[in-house]
Parts: sequence; C-alpha cells; structure tokens
Amino acid sequence: MDNILEVNNLYKKYDSFELKNISFSLPKGMIMGLIGENGAGKTTTIKAILNIINKYEGEIKIFNLDNNKNEDKIKKDIGVVLDDMFFPEILTPNDINNSMKSIYKNWDFNMFNDYLKKFSLPSNKQIKKLSKGMRKKLEIITALSHHPKLLILDEATSSLDPIARREVLDIFQEFIQNEECSILISSHITTDLEHFADYITFINDGKILLSKTCDELLEQYGIVKCTKNEFKKIDKKDYLKYQKTKYEYQVLIENKKEFRKKYNINNIDRTTLEDIMILMIKGEK
Amino acid sequence: MLGLIKKDLFMIKDSIKFLIIILLIYSILAYQNKIDLSFLLPFISVVLMMTTFNYDSYNKWDAYVTTLPMGRKNSVKAKYLATLFIIAISTIIITILSFAIDYFQTNTIDYKTILTTMFLCFFSTSIIESFMYPVIYKFGIEKARIGIFIVVFSIAFIGEFATKHLNFSSFNKIYVFLNNYWIVILPILLILILYISYKISEKIYLKKEF
Repeated sequence: MDNILEVNNLYKKYDSFELKNISFSLPKGMIMGLIGENGAGKTTTIKAILNIINKYEGEIKIFNLDNNKNEDKIKKDIGVVLDDMFFPEILTPNDINNSMKSIYKNWDFNMFNDYLKKFSLPSNKQIKKLSKGMRKKLEIITALSHHPKLLILDEATSSLDPIARREVLDIFQEFIQNEECSILISSHITTDLEHFADYITFINDGKILLSKTCDELLEQYGIVKCTKNEFKKIDKKDYLKYQKTKYEYQVLIENKKEFRKKYNINNIDRTTLEDIMILMIKGEK
Repeated sequence: MLGLIKKDLFMIKDSIKFLIIILLIYSILAYQNKIDLSFLLPFISVVLMMTTFNYDSYNKWDAYVTTLPMGRKNSVKAKYLATLFIIAISTIIITILSFAIDYFQTNTIDYKTILTTMFLCFFSTSIIESFMYPVIYKFGIEKARIGIFIVVFSIAFIGEFATKHLNFSSFNKIYVFLNNYWIVILPILLILILYISYKISEKIYLKKEF
C-alpha cells in the first residue's frame, strides 16, 4: 500500500520538551488519529510535518517527496486546520474565498460557497462576530475547498457541537472515499476516532507509545478486571500497564485471545481508546 | 502572492471609512492654512499596515500562512507590495486633494511644489516602513513597537544633531549635486533601501518558527 505521509525519526528539542524519534506512516485512503495528553507532542509533530517549525532532525515525506525540498509542490495538495484560530478576525468568509482563489490553483469558489450554505455560515459577517464553532467550520471548509489530497487537522472538531461534528465527520468520510486521499487528525474526542479512524498513533511525553490500526486496538486489546491474588499470577510480560482501584485491579493487555488461553481469567472487557490512553499514561508496570 | 496582497487589503477596508473622515477634516484645516496635508501620508500608510501586522499577530496568521503554497516565501513580498500599493494610492489621493485645495485658495495650481512635496513624502514614508519591517519581523509587532520608537527617534535625534553641529557648507558640492539630481538619486536610493530591507525581512521570516 502506498503511503501518503511518512515520518521517520523526527526529533525536535525545546528547553523543556523533546520530541523523540517519532516514526509513523499513513497509507493512501486512510484516516489516522493522533491521540495523547495536552503537551504530549501532537501539535509539534503536525507543525514539523507542515514546516511551521523547521529546525528538526529526521525525515518527513509527503506524497513520496521530501517535505523540505518540495515544500511548494506538496502544499498545494494539503488542506490544514490548526489548533488555534488563524484567520484574521476582521476578514469575512467572502474575503477568505476571494483571497484563496488567488492562492490555490485548484480553489473551488463555488464549492466554498456551497459549504457556507450547508453549514449556515454567513458570507459577509466578520469572523470576530462568528461563534467559536462557526469559525472552526469556516477553517474546515477552507481546508477542503481546493480539493487537497491530504488533510492535516489539529483538534479540528473539538469546538463543534455534536450535530456539526457528525456533519463534518461525514464529509471527512466522503473525502477519503476515492482511496487517494488521507487524513491525519489529532483529537481529544477519542469516541469520534473510534468510529472513523483507520489508524491510531498515540504520543506521550514526546514519544510514540503505539501506532496501530484502530480495529487492532479495539478488538485485540482488553482490560482484565481481577483480584489482587489473580493479578499476582499474571506474568509482567503479558500485560502493558495496570491500575489499582478500590475494589479490583484493571490490567491492560495487548491480546485478549492469547491471554484467555494462558490464564483462567474470564473477566476481560473491551477497551476504548480512552481506556487505553488513561491506563498507558496513568497505569503502572 | 496576489491572494496574500488581497488579504492585507481586505483587512484594512474597515479603516478606510475612518481615514476618509480624517482626510475630509484635515482638508478643511489645510484649506484654512492651519496644517499641511502632506504629513498625513506617512500617518495613513503606517497606521494601515500596522493594523494588518496586528491582526496577523493576534490571530496567529503566520503559522497558517506557512502551510499555504509559497506561503512562507510570498508572505513578506506581499506585505511590501501591499505597503507600496497603499503608499502610492495615498499619495495620489493626497496629491489630488492638495491640487484642489491650492486651486480653491489661489485659483491656480502650483504643480511643481505639490508634486515635489508629495514625491518627498512618498520617499520618506517608504524609507520609514523599510526601517520598520525588519524590526517587526525580527521581534514581532508587540516588541517591535519599542524598537520602532527607538529607530524613529534616533533618526530624528541624529538629524537634529547634524543640523545643529555640522557645517553643511563643507558639503556644498554634495548639496549642489543632490539639488540637481535628486529626482534620479532618490528613486535609486529608495529602490536600494527597499530591496535591502525586503531581503533582511525575508531572511528573518524564512528561518522563523511559529
């Protein structure tokens, strides 16, 4: 399968934070969710991919091209939504439409206007007079209106209400239908990612803790709920992390099937991405 | 790049109504010989362009612009071209107003004096902004305010010091030369200063992380 994005050994050092050898790849036609705590390194990774930060080590390839050497060629086919609001708030959606049509060769003026209508966004109202959710919708439709091949979205859906979020997620699903386009999205709303992401990359403290298919995580991973005595019988190499609660031990395991074969413990729950995140970060080994 | 210039111009369209009112008030005052209209030129263009820098900084536009095709390379170029466009349009408007005021006051138009004044205003405004922009790009608009204040007052102080303490008669030949050829020298000097300023700003911006 061709990769649309490849990140190899990305390293970036700040005074108080380090991004340590981040590597992952995103195949064509797929959606990858980047998850992790605030300050884990998700935004820094996205900024490096987009060359918003440019002094880093490692290699980043987009559309099989080096992102430093072929920056302009690559960027015409990328749609971006950043974590912070980024359009000057004095502009109107019409101003954005008129500016972008001179920036992108593929800019679809009518598509942008259709999206404005679809999301009930006023075309002549200054951005500062729009709600936070409306601003985010405007940023998302701007990212989509030049027919990009790769969408890079940093917390793009977090400020949307559930209905708007569903509409946007449907558009994202539509976007990857031709199997040539991909999405890299960082989000705290892990339930959304469970529904539509194909891959999950989990970053913590500047390191990748895991990068797997979403199905693999949700189907194979499990949480064993057991007593102290039962927990003591489990070999350390057979679990990832555990957490002691008031009444039981919660143990995160990588492979439910093999675990069942080896141990006589049947109380194994399905995991959610949120469970995995919490246990991997807060749990002990 | 045209898109980035457009974006800067869209950003100032709200200020234009306010500037038209100022122009009308000052035109009346100029008609009554209370002020000279030419000083408005640097005021208008600096205020308008600072507005664009302020909004860019407040809304973190610079991070986004680097994600656009040719965004990082064209952003600085677009800012300089938008500035020159605004200075040129302001010069034309103030020149026309000056012609009108002169005509209503004297029934004639002193083309030579007005055009010379406006040319010098265009020149000095462009120079002021050429000094400002590398400072803004280096330190950001917030910190640059202090830097700009220091630069402008240093120039004023040096000018004041030079006129008081230097004997310009010793520069007589240079003065005569400048007096005869300023129409050629100043545009060349302006292009040179603008180019150097642009290159410094571009170099700073290309290396910047957002």
